[in-house]
Amino acid sequence: MVDFSHLTKAYKKKVVVDDFTLSVDVPIFGFLGQNGAGKTTIMKMIVGLLAPTGGTITIDGALSSHPIFKKKLGYMPETPYFYEHMTGMEFLRFSDELFGPTRGRTPHYEGLLKKVGIFDARNAQIRTYSKGMRQRLGFAQALVNDPEYLFLDEPLDGLDPIGRREMKAVMMGLKHEGRKVFLNTHILADVEEICDEVGIIHQGKLLYAGGVKEFCAGMPLEERFTEVVEEHEKQRP
Amino acid sequence: MRNIFVIAKNTLKLEVRDKILYGIVIFGMLYVFFMLFLAQLVLKELPMVRSFGLTGIYFFNAIIALFLGTTSFFKDIDRKVAYFILSKPVSRLQFLIGKFLGLCLVLLLTSAILAVAYLGVVAYENGGFDALGLLAIAMQYLEMSLFLAFAIFVSTFSSSLMSVVYTSGVFFLGHVVSQLVTDAQKMGLGGFQLFLVKVLYYIFPNLEKFDARDLAIHAVAMPWEQLGLALAYAAVYILLLLFAAIWIFERKEI
Repeated sequence: MVDFSHLTKAYKKKVVVDDFTLSVDVPIFGFLGQNGAGKTTIMKMIVGLLAPTGGTITIDGALSSHPIFKKKLGYMPETPYFYEHMTGMEFLRFSDELFGPTRGRTPHYEGLLKKVGIFDARNAQIRTYSKGMRQRLGFAQALVNDPEYLFLDEPLDGLDPIGRREMKAVMMGLKHEGRKVFLNTHILADVEEICDEVGIIHQGKLLYAGGVKEFCAGMPLEERFTEVVEEHEKQRP
Repeated sequence: MRNIFVIAKNTLKLEVRDKILYGIVIFGMLYVFFMLFLAQLVLKELPMVRSFGLTGIYFFNAIIALFLGTTSFFKDIDRKVAYFILSKPVSRLQFLIGKFLGLCLVLLLTSAILAVAYLGVVAYENGGFDALGLLAIAMQYLEMSLFLAFAIFVSTFSSSLMSVVYTSGVFFLGHVVSQLVTDAQKMGLGGFQLFLVKVLYYIFPNLEKFDARDLAIHAVAMPWEQLGLALAYAAVYILLLLFAAIWIFERKEI
């Protein structure tokens, strides 16, 4: 279970995550919000890239930034950047080496590259990869340590329709393997399709957390989302 | 400790694939071999060959150290590759030390390549095995490692371009700072002015401590105590710079 308790992040006087409290215990959870809502900041705090100004994030009772916990998580940043002169295979090996010895793990890397659909480009330098291939490699490196928890920041961005379908199938597969997946997205159709629960974030505040169907209450997700955000805007002083 | 080694190894692997680095090393080698041609035409005497060779190697290694130190670490942060690494069980200390050691290995490799070319040219000019020249190159390597540590330290809080400016400035000051104190005393400066010069002397690294070129050119061995002092000086200065860099980097929002 992932617990956010009064999580706050501020840059000088600008508060980007505001007293965020939430408990999540479902296979696939989606953070939904506009660009700049605070989704990426929350994810970066979960994986220890940013320190919260206040509050805590615990996973199964331990602080999420603890090195022991990091062995159990996989993270894919938004618009992933890589070492351009490395090949996809080399990057996976390097990522895996940071978790421990890698002798005999080549079949595992090959399996991952097949899973995300870039096996044929495994020995090409990353600088030759398209945006979609980079997304796929970012996904593969997040899986390299067989993580229990996956945090994916806009994982379907830049993928073509077939790529999106394939990646969604991979996420559903991870769900069936018993892993927990958290994803940030602003693409509502993806959320509707694969998430068990969602958290609606707007200007750093949690506006809703729970099931997608309950949230929609018979309305299309896009319409309901817009309604909730606009309602919040009206209530602001 | 293992992760430091993994990052260092990866840094070495990546940097040796960089075409800019290749270019600098190739120019360095061409320069050393050009000496061979120059030696037969103009230089004639072995000390001149040594002088041109060691100065050339120093110059090219300084460019390599400046290039590596101001770009490699900064790029990882700026281009967000560090996100992948730091979200794994890798501390910021391990990442920074790993990068530094990796760059030191790259510099060791380029120094070794240029040293082999130099030793070959000196031997061809009937100078035999120039052990003192090799020692001078080793001292240059120490200086460049310190230079790298300074560049990484600056990269933790400034852009790549500004790192080049600061690091070049320190490189220049590091070579004149000891002379500054002597000149200030000769000029009879006192009070606040002398204090200011002395502050500069203690803050900036005294890179002249690593200069064994003049001795090597005239085939004079560097005294052991001077060698030991330079080693200790480099070690302490590098540790202080890395400590400060880690302190800043651990507090930096990336």
